[in-house]
Amino acid sequence: MSKTKIRIDYDKCGENGKVDPRDCRKCLEVCDPCVFLMHEALGCKEEDPYNPQHWRITPVWPSVCTRCFYCVKACPEKAIKISW
Amino acid sequence: MCDWCLKHGNGKKWYMNAKNYSNELAKDLDLEDYLTEQWMNFETVFIRKIMGISSKGLGYKLKMPIIGRVLRWLAERMIHSESKNRNPMRADGHFGQVLPLEDAQIILSELAAEPIMENYCMCRWMQKGKKEACCINFGVLSGVIEKLPRFIPKDRVVMLDREQAMERLEEHNKKGYIASVWFQPVPYICAICSCETPECGGLRLRNDFNLKAVYKAEYIIQLDHDKCEGCKACVSMCQFSAIRFIPSINRVMIDYDKCFGCGVCRHACKFDALQLIPREEYPGFDGKY
Repeated sequence: MSKTKIRIDYDKCGENGKVDPRDCRKCLEVCDPCVFLMHEALGCKEEDPYNPQHWRITPVWPSVCTRCFYCVKACPEKAIKISW
Repeated sequence: MCDWCLKHGNGKKWYMNAKNYSNELAKDLDLEDYLTEQWMNFETVFIRKIMGISSKGLGYKLKMPIIGRVLRWLAERMIHSESKNRNPMRADGHFGQVLPLEDAQIILSELAAEPIMENYCMCRWMQKGKKEACCINFGVLSGVIEKLPRFIPKDRVVMLDREQAMERLEEHNKKGYIASVWFQPVPYICAICSCETPECGGLRLRNDFNLKAVYKAEYIIQLDHDKCEGCKACVSMCQFSAIRFIPSINRVMIDYDKCFGCGVCRHACKFDALQLIPREEYPGFDGKY
């Protein structure tokens, strides 16, 4: 099987987009094999390092993706693209 | 017994050695700062580049010829690292083992260093967007996690006494979560988790990529063929798909290669057909952790 490529448009979601992944996180919830990872954005200046405020979502395990497209449908910003 | 028992078990299983829980050990290894740094950045551990390579797309990277093998060797060396200059930004020396409820109860009642706390599971939060308080941490780590608001449940007590901790663990175990005990970093032990696949970061590495981030338990399940009535209740409890129902013989079958020995399936069995036995007593599966 060819490699699954999952891309997230970080202009729409993440520390620079208008959606905070921590409030939305719809893609994480619908993903049965848990392909996505929600994490603090690297390289951002945090006021309180114990309580970081800049978050983004990375499709970190594309090899377990089942290509069900639930995340694409669930994303309110249409920020996720899957290809192979 | 595995290599880690020989190294850190003092003649027992590694997690039964009281020394591995002691505050003195934490002090010797200067773990308070180390764990603070690690827990502040733990969600980023899979996307941080180590020597130019991150875990992103690890499944594909490990399949590459030659490079995949080198990568596997490097990853396992990092997970099992006992070196002096471990990096808190990575999961250096952080691995664990599945264990049955009975062993976990012994740890919580006798060995774990106080204070004991129950906080939000990080894996479920970062991989499933779900906040569920089911990680029991103890010793130095409790003080570290207290400072991080995203892991602290607001609506309930987080500090537990030994009795409460045992009750909570039993509750999770009966729900179908797998108890696991963790080195963080080896040889210090400071957590008992109630894991679930596929959210758990450690079980992800083990099940999907066969990296030894979690070891199988010191036990393995045994099925009494005569007692099994074929109710299939245990099938839904197994997180490792090691139990399968065979209609023609009207009972379940166990794939011993997949069995981690967590013993969670026993909670579902009404006919006492499932028993845990020590792994070393089962020929062919002894030494397979």
